[in-house]
Amino acid sequence: MIKIKNLEKIYRTEDVETVALNKLSLSVAEGEFVAIMGPSGCGKSTLLNILGLLDDPDSGSFLFNGIEVADFNERKRADLRKRNIGFVFQSFNLIDELTVFENVELPLIYLGARPSERKQRVEEVLDKMQIMHRRNHYPQQLSGGQQQRVAVARAVVNNPKLILADEPTGNLDSSNGNEVMQMLTDLNEQGTTVVMVTHSEHDARYSHRIVRMLDGQTVLENIMV
Amino acid sequence: MLKNYLKIAFRNLLRNKAFSIINISGLAIGMASAILILLWIQNEVSYEQFHEKKDRIYEAWNKAHFSGKLQAWNTTPKILARTLEKDYPEVEQAVRVYWDHVYLFSVGDKRLTVSGNMVDSNFLQVFSFPLIKGNPKTALMDMHSIVITEKLAKKLYGDEDPMGKVLKLDNKDNFQVTGLLKDLPNNTRFKFEYLLPWSYLRYVGEDDASWGNNSTRTYVMLKPNASVVALNTKLKTIRQRYADSDKEGEMFVYPMSRWRLYSSFKEGVEDGGRIEFVRLFGIIAVFILLIACINFMNLSTARSEKRAKEVGIRKVVGAPKSALVGQFIGESVLLALIAGILAVLIVQVSLPAFNKLTDKELFIDYGNYRNWVFALGFILLTGIIAGSYPAFFLSSFQPVKVLKGIFRSSKALIAPRKILVVLQFSFAIILIIGTLVVKHQISYAREREAGYDKNNLVYHMLSGDLGKNYELVKNELLNAGVATSVSKTSAPITQGWSDSWDFQWAGKDPNDKTDFDRFSADQNIVKTAGFQLVKGRDFDLKQFPTDSTAVLLNESAVKAMNFKEPIGQLIKDIGVEWHVVGVIKDFILQSPYYPLKPMVVEGARGWLNVMHIKLNPAKSTESNLKVAESIFKKYNPEYPFEYKFVDEEYARKFDDEKRTGILTALFAGLTIFISCLGLFGLAAYMAQNRIKEIGVRKVLGASVTSITTLLSKDFLKLVIIALLIASPIAGFTMYKWLQNYPYRVNLEWWVFVLAGMSAISIAILTVSFQAIKAAMTNPVKNLRTE
Ligand SMILES: Nc1ncnc2c1ncn2[C@@H]1O[C@H](COP(=O)(O)OP(=O)(O)OP(=O)(O)O)[C@@H](O)[C@H]1O
Ligand SMILES: [Mg+2]
Repeated sequence: MIKIKNLEKIYRTEDVETVALNKLSLSVAEGEFVAIMGPSGCGKSTLLNILGLLDDPDSGSFLFNGIEVADFNERKRADLRKRNIGFVFQSFNLIDELTVFENVELPLIYLGARPSERKQRVEEVLDKMQIMHRRNHYPQQLSGGQQQRVAVARAVVNNPKLILADEPTGNLDSSNGNEVMQMLTDLNEQGTTVVMVTHSEHDARYSHRIVRMLDGQTVLENIMV
Repeated sequence: MLKNYLKIAFRNLLRNKAFSIINISGLAIGMASAILILLWIQNEVSYEQFHEKKDRIYEAWNKAHFSGKLQAWNTTPKILARTLEKDYPEVEQAVRVYWDHVYLFSVGDKRLTVSGNMVDSNFLQVFSFPLIKGNPKTALMDMHSIVITEKLAKKLYGDEDPMGKVLKLDNKDNFQVTGLLKDLPNNTRFKFEYLLPWSYLRYVGEDDASWGNNSTRTYVMLKPNASVVALNTKLKTIRQRYADSDKEGEMFVYPMSRWRLYSSFKEGVEDGGRIEFVRLFGIIAVFILLIACINFMNLSTARSEKRAKEVGIRKVVGAPKSALVGQFIGESVLLALIAGILAVLIVQVSLPAFNKLTDKELFIDYGNYRNWVFALGFILLTGIIAGSYPAFFLSSFQPVKVLKGIFRSSKALIAPRKILVVLQFSFAIILIIGTLVVKHQISYAREREAGYDKNNLVYHMLSGDLGKNYELVKNELLNAGVATSVSKTSAPITQGWSDSWDFQWAGKDPNDKTDFDRFSADQNIVKTAGFQLVKGRDFDLKQFPTDSTAVLLNESAVKAMNFKEPIGQLIKDIGVEWHVVGVIKDFILQSPYYPLKPMVVEGARGWLNVMHIKLNPAKSTESNLKVAESIFKKYNPEYPFEYKFVDEEYARKFDDEKRTGILTALFAGLTIFISCLGLFGLAAYMAQNRIKEIGVRKVLGASVTSITTLLSKDFLKLVIIALLIASPIAGFTMYKWLQNYPYRVNLEWWVFVLAGMSAISIAILTVSFQAIKAAMTNPVKNLRTE
C-alpha cells in the first residue's frame, strides 16, 4: 500500500537547516500494523505527516496504492486524503465548538455524504467506540480517554484504508491507553492498515512490525510474532 | 454544509460574547453614522430634482460692482418677468415669487398665522408641485383664489373638503380655495403653505414697474433646446436696454441644478457653497465607515488566528480550501448582516435627534428597492472584505503548521494593524482639533460686544391693527409700568433688512460705492436699544418735531463719510434730506463674524414695521409679558401675541456654527469610540501574543506596573505619530475654515496640545485595561498552556 524510496525532508529556518528525513525508505503492505519508534526529534512525526499527505517531501518517491504522490499539489493531496486516510493525534485535536456527533460527522460532510447517511454512519461508529451516550457533549466535557475515542471514531468514520496515529496514547493513562490500542487492533483486524508513532514499547507490541528511526533514517526493523 | 457553518458561526458568536459585541457594535455604529450622513447628502443633492422641467428652469440673478467688489444677488425688478417673456425668445415662461409673507388666516373661529408666497399664475405649470385637487393651469387665475397645502387644509378644515371654501386673510379680503397641494417634499427651497396670485399684490398696490427696485425672485423656464448661453449674453445688457436709471450691472440666469449647492458667488463667479459641506461630510462618512470596516477585519483576523486549530483539523479531515474560504467569509457576512440590521435600528432611533441637529426632515425610504439593493450590497461587500483576509490567509496554511501553532509568531501581521491605529487616531485627532477650534471661535464671537443691550428687550411685528394703534399701545405699556421705553423700527434689531450705496452727502466722491446698512426708528431708539451715544442726542419727536427726518450715524459711517463734525450734516436718501443729530457706537446688526458696516439710522419718515419694547427690569418678565399680552389683545384682538426676545434671536446668529460644532464633536466622539474598539482589540491581541513572555518576566520578578508600562508603551508611540500626522492637516483645514470669518480667533497652540492629550489619555485608558489584565494573570497558568 505504501512504498517510499529515498525520501528527503529538510526544514530551513533562517540559517539553520534541519534534515528531518534523510533518504528514508519504507514499505507498508495492506493490512499491516506498523509501529514507528525512535528518540525525540528523529523525524517520526515528519514521516507520518508525509505518509498522511499533510506535508510534501523535498525529494524521493512516494507510491500510495501504486500512484506516485510525491509531487501532488495540495488539492490533489487533500482529495486523496479525505477518501483514504484517517488521523489520530496525541492531543486529540477535536473542534471545541462542535459536539461529539458533529466532530465525527465532519469528514462525511466534506465527502459530500447525505445527511441521513451521515447520521447512520456516525451513530454506528459512536456505538462501536462506546461513546454514543455522549453524542451531544462538547469535547471539554469529556475525559482524555473519551476524547481520544471520539478522535478515533472520527478517523474511521469514512472507512479509510489507512489510519495514521501519532502517539495516540501519549496523553492517556495506561488503562485508557490500552483501550485505544485495542480499538486500533480491532480496526486492523477488520482490514485497515495502521501506522502508529509511539514512545511506548508496550504499545508497540500491539503491532506486527516495529520500525526504529534515528536521525531521519530507519535503522532497524523488528518483526513481531 | 451551510448549516454546519452557520452553527459554528453562531456558537462562535455566543462563545466570544465580548468580542462579538465589540466587533458588531463597532461596525454597526460606523454603518449607522455613514447611513445618517448619506441620508443627509442624498437630501442635499436631490434638491429640486423632482421638477419635471428642471433642466429648463433657471433663476434670474444680478451682477454689479459695489463696495469695491463684484457682487451677485438674486432679487430682481418685478417688471423683469414680463419683459423676458416678451422680448427674449429663448424664454417660454417667467414666474415671480414674492417674499415669504405671513398672513392671519381666519376660518370660522379659527385663527392661524401662515407663511406662503404670492406667485405668478403660471407657477404650478413651471414647478412640479402637484395638485391633489384643482387645475394647475387655472387655480391661480382669479385674484381671490388661493391654493393651500394638505397640511394647512387639515389645520383649517379638518377632514372636510377644502375646495371652494372661503377664508379671510388679515381680516380684510376673502379668498376661495381653488387648489389643494400635496405637501412640499423635504428637498425644495420653497417653504410655502399657501399660494396667492400675483394679481392680489397688484390689488394691494405693491406691484411696480421700476427697474431700480430689486424686490422679487424671478424664475425662468426656457423653451426646449433654447440656448442659455445666448440668453445670458443678451441679458448682460438688459438694464441698459430698459432701465431709466440704475443702468449699471448685468443679469444672468442660473440653472436649477446648481441652486442648492453652488450658489455662492465671489467676484461674480461660483465659489464654494454648500457643496463644500457635502464633500466634507462625504469624506467623513467614508472615513468613519472605513475605520469601522478595517476594525472589523482586524478583530476578525485576530480572532481567527485563535481558530487556527479548527482550520487545521478541518483540513486534516478533508476540508478543501474553498470550503474554508466559504466558511470564514460566510461568518463575517453574517456578522456584517447583524451589524447592518443594528445600524438601521440605530439610525431609526437617532433620526429625530439628527433631524433636529441638521434642521431637516430626513427619513429612511423603506419602499425604495434601490436602498435595499444598496444596503445588502454594502453589507455583503463589508462581510466579504472583512472575511477575505482570515479566509485566504488561514486556509492556505499547511495543516501541520497550523496545528503546531507555528504561524502565531508571525510579526508581519502586527505592522498593518499599527498603521491602522495610527490612521484611526489621526482622524480622531483631526476631528478633536476641529471641535475645539469651532467651539473657540463661537465663544469668541459670542463675547464680542453687541453694541446694544439685549436684556429685557423684546420685539413684535406691527401686525394687524398695531400700526394704527401704535401710540395707544405704547402709552399703555409705559403707563402700566411694563416697559421703560418703546420704539418703532424698520426691522428687528437682530436683522438687517435694508442697505444702499446711494446715500449722498457733502464732499462725497462720485465714484464712492460704499454700501451702508439702513435702519429706521421713530424715537427714543438709543434708550430702547441701549445704544452707546458718542455724540449728540437720541431721536425725540416731542421736543424736536423735525426729528422725523433726523438721522443717527454709527462711528463707521462717520469715518466712511469723512465728517470732521458730523452733527448737523445733511444726507440725502430715498428723496429725503436727513440731518444728523447723533453718533452711536457701531452695533452688530447682522453677522457677529463680520466687521461692522457703516450704518445710517433714519428717523420716523422711514418705513416702520417692528415694535421694540424695553421691559421694565424692576418687574418679573413673566408678569410684564402677561400685562403686555392683554394690552396687545385689546388693540389687536384678531392677532396672536407673538413677541420675540432679542437675546434669543441674537443667540440664533450662532446656530449654524453651533451645529457645525456639535456635528464635528459627534463625529469626533464616534471616531474615537470606534478607534478605541480597534485599539482594544489590538491590545488584547498583542497581550495574547506576548502572554508567554509576560509569564516568564513575572516568574523572573517583574512587577505588574513594569509589565503594564511595557505593553502600553508601544501604543503610546502610535498615538504620538498620529498626533504628528493629524496636527498639520487639522491646522490647515481649520485655518481655511476660519478664513470664512473676518472676526475670528487665531489657531492657538493649546488646541493641539489639548487634542493630543485627550487622544493619549483615551488610548492609555483603553490599552492599560488589557495590559493590566495581562500583567495580573497568574504566570503558571500562561506557561502551562504552551
Ligand atoms: N516546521 C519545522 N521547522 C523547522 N524544523 C522542524 C519543523 N518541524 C520539525 N522540525 C525539526 O525536524 C526534526 C524532526 O522533527 P519531528 O517532529 O518529526 O520529530 P519527532 O520524531 O516526531 O519528535 P518527537 O518524538 O519529539 O515528537 C526535528 O529536529 C525538528 O526540530
Ligand atoms: Mg512527534
